[in-house]
Amino acid sequence: MTTETQPSDQAKVQSPRMAVWKALLLCLPILLLSALIPLLSLQSGDPLMIISGLAVWILVNVFFVLMLITGKTHRYRSVLFIMIAIALPLDFIPWMFETYGSMLLTDETIYSGGASFCPLTMPMVIVPALVKRVVIFPGTLVGTGTHGIFSMMALLWLGVSLSIGRGWCSWGCFYGGWDEFFSRLRKKPLIKHKQIDRRWIYLPFGILLAIVLISALTYEPVYCAWLCPFKLVTEFQAPATTLAIIQIAIFILLFIGLVIVLPLLTRRRIQCGLFCPFGAMQSFFNKINIFGVRIDPEKCSRCEKCIRECPTFSLNEASLDSGKPLMTCTRCAHCIDNCPQGAITYRIKGTSLKASPTVARVLYLYPAYFLMAFIGGATIMNGLQRLLMLITTGSMLH
Amino acid sequence: MTRLCSDVILRAKPGRLRLGTAGKGGEVILQGFLLGLASGTTCLAYCAPVLVPFLLGEGQRVRQNWAVLGKFLGGRLGGYLLFGLIAWAVNRLILEDSGVRAPVLGVAYIALAALLIVYGVVRTPTACAGELKGARAWLNRWPALLPVGLGFLTGLNVCPPFLMAFAGATGTGTLWQSLLFFGTFFLGTSFYFIPLPFLGAFRHVQPLRTIGKFAAVIVALYYLFAGVLLLVGDVL
Repeated sequence: MTTETQPSDQAKVQSPRMAVWKALLLCLPILLLSALIPLLSLQSGDPLMIISGLAVWILVNVFFVLMLITGKTHRYRSVLFIMIAIALPLDFIPWMFETYGSMLLTDETIYSGGASFCPLTMPMVIVPALVKRVVIFPGTLVGTGTHGIFSMMALLWLGVSLSIGRGWCSWGCFYGGWDEFFSRLRKKPLIKHKQIDRRWIYLPFGILLAIVLISALTYEPVYCAWLCPFKLVTEFQAPATTLAIIQIAIFILLFIGLVIVLPLLTRRRIQCGLFCPFGAMQSFFNKINIFGVRIDPEKCSRCEKCIRECPTFSLNEASLDSGKPLMTCTRCAHCIDNCPQGAITYRIKGTSLKASPTVARVLYLYPAYFLMAFIGGATIMNGLQRLLMLITTGSMLH
Repeated sequence: MTRLCSDVILRAKPGRLRLGTAGKGGEVILQGFLLGLASGTTCLAYCAPVLVPFLLGEGQRVRQNWAVLGKFLGGRLGGYLLFGLIAWAVNRLILEDSGVRAPVLGVAYIALAALLIVYGVVRTPTACAGELKGARAWLNRWPALLPVGLGFLTGLNVCPPFLMAFAGATGTGTLWQSLLFFGTFFLGTSFYFIPLPFLGAFRHVQPLRTIGKFAAVIVALYYLFAGVLLLVGDVL
């Protein structure tokens, strides 16, 4: 970084602002599609659910309009993303208590297909499914419920991956908001980006390779069984054996270390950027996805603010030369919002640098935001309903 | 994890594939080869967690990877033969006795983990490995030993296909026919390893070396844990 060329962080950021009428017009598709949320809540007949559904519907649409008017993507995405992560356990844990009596899963529950299917399982499931035609996760393959259905989750994952690539990790993941929340609590990092060896960005790929191979060997989703930090906010095996106790200890340590402490110290999404094997797998979808992020070399002043602040370590000096981030980019728009020169924009691959960034941005926002608004919105709705239940009845259980 | 490892072994059901006495060499060859082909994917599943990170970590050309594969398979055959011969000499049933098999597997797993960690950490120029120049220098002088050692320890793992082959070989009558059966079985399983050297086609992707090293260390942790469980699982 050269201090001569570094502009002030306070410099006015160029944002593709939009007229209110145009923003409202462009919001119509989201308004209509996300209407499914209040419609679903109406179906339940529960007044608290209806209130939650309407509140979330209004919230997601207001945020979308604000995104378009202000030209800021990350600011509003981040708030919703964090809300989704917090809302998930608010709904899921009470659901576990209602269904199984606790957050703990017994062997009997797991092997009878009672464990909820999670997209993070996908990399481990693929190889045995292709080679041996066996789904190694003991969840439900088909059904009508909302938890644990493999087919529903697999279709959702495939559709989202093809449409927005690793955008999943910043727009659709149920867990990444925890990382994001803790990474945003401090204004300055205690561990600077230069102090972090860049080779660690390959660790998620190493974990991915290892868990795929070991899962094919053991027929066990090893990441879920041993390494997932988010067991702590969802479900985990009952500590009936010493092994189960060791597993729980690992989950606790990983959650505290990767999701709380390190993001606080570095202001980065450490779990997402340096650990998550699912994210590593999603990176490959960035290669076949039509959307991307570009850096205009003519506008870029090489202040390296984007490199210093990228939450997932997806930018380096070479990115500025090549005009694009690394394949691990989650399209969170942090760099886009914060580039003092407005040199970073969403793009459609194959289009020229002179093509309108606003068009590319809006086209990307539609699938990404719809995912967030609908899947995430439903999660927030359920979490909000549980909170309202707690306030009105003193219990989060039905 | 112990339970799941056992499940893998149980799924193989060696008794079902036990072969009868073969009368002629040709029949023995065919039976051994077909058994190898039939169970080769399981062999690959057992060896790939060790071999794939190694091949990626080394980042060599396809031709060099063939040599590495040859060494690995040679080491694996050595492990098989050593265990098989000891079992033959002492008591052929010891392979089916979990009281004997568990400690042997446990020690082999831990040794394999140690070798993978040495490979993943020492041969990587990380800050942690900075003080291990002597060991790194030793590894650089004897790189050929690594795939042989990894193959040998993988061979000692006594995977289900090996148990099946052992059961089949014992039913062939003479020692010569048993060795023939075992050799052709080994060839049959090796068929599935053919694609692996082509990982060398990606050698220009520099990060793959680092990824391979990371994966080697993680696989090592798995084997270390599995080995400890096999040794002291009863205590836990």
